[in-house]
Amino acid sequence: MAEEKEEPEKEEVKEEEPIEEPKIGIYVCHCGINIKNTVDVDAVRDYAATLPNVVLAKDYMYVCSDPGQEIIKQDIREGRVNRVIVAACSPRLHEPTFRKTCISEGLNPFFFEMANIREQCSWVWEDKATNTEKAKDIVRSTVARSNLLEPLEEKEVDVVPETLVIGGGISGMYAALDIANAGYTVHLLERLPSIGGHMLQFDKTFPTLDCAACILTPRMVDVGKHPNIDLLSYSEVEEIGGSVGNFTVKVRRKPRYIVEKDPVTGAIVCTGCGLCATACRMKKIPNEFDLGLGMRTAAYLPMPQAVPACYTIDPEKCIMLTKGKCGKATLESTGEAIKRIKSGEVTVEEVKDEIPLCVATCGPNCIDFDMKDEIVELNVGTIIVATGTDVIDPALQPEYKYGVYPNVIHGLEMERLLAPNGPTQGKVIINGKEPKDIVFIQCAGSRNKQTGYEYCSRVCCMYSIKHAHLIKERIHDANISILYQDIRAYGKAFEEFYDRIKGEGINFRRGLASEVYQRPGSDRLVVRGEDTMLGEPYELEADLVVLATGLRPSDGVEKVVRLTKLSQSADKFFLEAHPKLRPVDTAIDGIFVAGCCQGPKDIPDSVAQAKAASSASLIYLGTGKAKLEAITSEINEELCTGCRTCEALCPYDALEFDAEEKVMRVNEAICKGCGCCNGACPSGAASMRHFRDRQVYAQIEALTEALAPPS
Amino acid sequence: MGTLYEEIVAYGGEVFGEEHMETLLQCVQCGKCTGGCPSGRNTALRTRKLFRMAQEDMREEIFNAPELWFCTTCFTCYERCPKGVKTTDVIRIIRNLAAKEGHMSVPHRMIGVYVLKTGHAVPIGPDQMKIRESLGLDSQPPTTQKYKEQLEQVQDIFRTTQFDAMIDFDWDKMDLRGKEGGEKK
Repeated sequence: MAEEKEEPEKEEVKEEEPIEEPKIGIYVCHCGINIKNTVDVDAVRDYAATLPNVVLAKDYMYVCSDPGQEIIKQDIREGRVNRVIVAACSPRLHEPTFRKTCISEGLNPFFFEMANIREQCSWVWEDKATNTEKAKDIVRSTVARSNLLEPLEEKEVDVVPETLVIGGGISGMYAALDIANAGYTVHLLERLPSIGGHMLQFDKTFPTLDCAACILTPRMVDVGKHPNIDLLSYSEVEEIGGSVGNFTVKVRRKPRYIVEKDPVTGAIVCTGCGLCATACRMKKIPNEFDLGLGMRTAAYLPMPQAVPACYTIDPEKCIMLTKGKCGKATLESTGEAIKRIKSGEVTVEEVKDEIPLCVATCGPNCIDFDMKDEIVELNVGTIIVATGTDVIDPALQPEYKYGVYPNVIHGLEMERLLAPNGPTQGKVIINGKEPKDIVFIQCAGSRNKQTGYEYCSRVCCMYSIKHAHLIKERIHDANISILYQDIRAYGKAFEEFYDRIKGEGINFRRGLASEVYQRPGSDRLVVRGEDTMLGEPYELEADLVVLATGLRPSDGVEKVVRLTKLSQSADKFFLEAHPKLRPVDTAIDGIFVAGCCQGPKDIPDSVAQAKAASSASLIYLGTGKAKLEAITSEINEELCTGCRTCEALCPYDALEFDAEEKVMRVNEAICKGCGCCNGACPSGAASMRHFRDRQVYAQIEALTEALAPPS
Repeated sequence: MGTLYEEIVAYGGEVFGEEHMETLLQCVQCGKCTGGCPSGRNTALRTRKLFRMAQEDMREEIFNAPELWFCTTCFTCYERCPKGVKTTDVIRIIRNLAAKEGHMSVPHRMIGVYVLKTGHAVPIGPDQMKIRESLGLDSQPPTTQKYKEQLEQVQDIFRTTQFDAMIDFDWDKMDLRGKEGGEKK
């Protein structure tokens, strides 16, 4: 509705010049008791009415409410006011609200101004008299600014109807599927050879004990086969430029050395038969998917359910790629022989000494050692970042001896030992035998000032309880203790699950473990701690100690920060635009976050956020339009000396130097209106719309009026 | 007088800074301190419980708790505390406050006696003297233990700071008063 009405309004603005004399209306908000209890709103209202060009001043209990906004609308409609000031809260939340109020009555929204007498006044001090004086100062300063405001135009750009999703875990997959199902093209980028993310490493999921692979694998296949999803596996983002509606992204596709699809027809070439892996000489490479607990070959599929089901040759492990030879074959002989085989000149059998074993066994002949990096350029309207999470380094707490004793493992390693697609096919085996006494240590890494990860990772309590159940299922006489400081079973059906597992005879002992050591002369471990309920120290013997390690932002988060300048919160996860009301938006329009890259989450929360991010993205794709920031920099070309001081300072690369005219130009689609150029410009050529020097100085002068000596 | 916590912050704040002492409020009673405490393994010291008592303003109980003096200040818990509570320093400040009110364990008071009588918390005994002599050294190194006039200066410091009164030292007997009375005077 608002947008429909906006069109004629814009034209009106143009006709309206020169700007009418200001007729300012001030609306002082009680904010229930938030302001009223510590500020005399009547006094502020009466004072405001005396200020220059103020034609009316009113107060109301909640100005942001429907009847509150109606008061403003009526005053605009009936021609009483042409500038609006609401003295209430921070502009962060309600400036957009009141701008819309103005738009609905045909008033340029940039004639609205907020006087913050809540966060900057009523909430800070308790003394009503002082607060009232400060509120008056703030209002006077806002009036001074309001008198000098100019109408601005909010421009729109077309949105490229495509989205890039960074990260192929559960969040990225679900975001991609929703957008693709809505009929838009999605480029889904995954760093590793297969999508699936951490969820595919799990055996069962809490609290329902669904088999993770059973519920995830069909969705992976959906992603792989979806006609609207362009799956960019084994790829990395190199560059992100542009702005909402038209981001330009450079993607580096790493060479697999095995042809996935025919470049012309798009037909599948590698059938995933696995003969290359069977033939490969390099057999003892720790498999990353199994966290090094299992082995793979240099030609490998990370896991049996991989999507795409295409093998990859590890360039750091394949001796043909590192040393240039494998057996009798060299890179040159292999290249030559492959050409001759393809032309039908010779059979594989005839040149078998000139080619490595993998090439000799590959039926579709899809191995290509000459494959190079490929740069793909994408144009997308929106970006969803779903770069996920990783395990906090358990060695940060040396008292638990991770990496010292092989029977101290972390939570994700436990998942691999339990998973049917894991290195032990789901049998719990440690040090070559089945453990009987198992101890879980909670809060390993997280909730800890010493490791630097001060937050609660939200999943460790529940996954340890789940592990305890799954171990008990396989080793009936296992003695399992969970050493905790608090059990946080906060989610749907979590407490019930906790109760159920307690009933299975798992020993929950309150008190964080202090240290782990090995009983001399055996591989038995001793865990030492205090039972804080009994107030007594204890020592527990164990065959296996599992550290319930928490989650940290993945390295991909840092990388995306480098490429986009997205902000991070203190915990180093991505910072959302508003913690309550804009949980998937970021400071950059058109870039959204989903899943664990924004903070630790379980699977349902990740999926919910993915669906929210795709929905937010679809607003842009569906309407095909994006509004640009109206408050941008403006460079007066007559004043600009072409010194280029501002160019290096611009954090958004929004400035372009015109070498012929020797002046700087602003790309308004990219400019965020931060004001760096304005502040640094030695000739005063750069200025910010809506924050012109004269507007800001007037504000400061009015604010300091009370301090100035009487003239 | 404020709460024990306020006193800890005020008194300890002068030595370590107030923020250092305020970490006491961060204690979540996880027990990681007690479980790894080398002293608590053999004694009644429950480090976690001391912090709980301090948080709950159990002033008399904590000042009268013999285990307050069982901490060896090894700093193991200090290094491991997940909430960054400055454990050992808090305990040391509680001891200082307790001592000001006349609570101090006999062994700790005895250390004061050694310093008062020799200038050393660990004086050189007859065995060490023999070893020194066998090595061709003077039986005593040139310290307050050897030079009585220097020791008198140490004793002056005791009198000036009233440390002698704090440990209840008897100048006539050159020993503690009420030594046999138990852990505290």
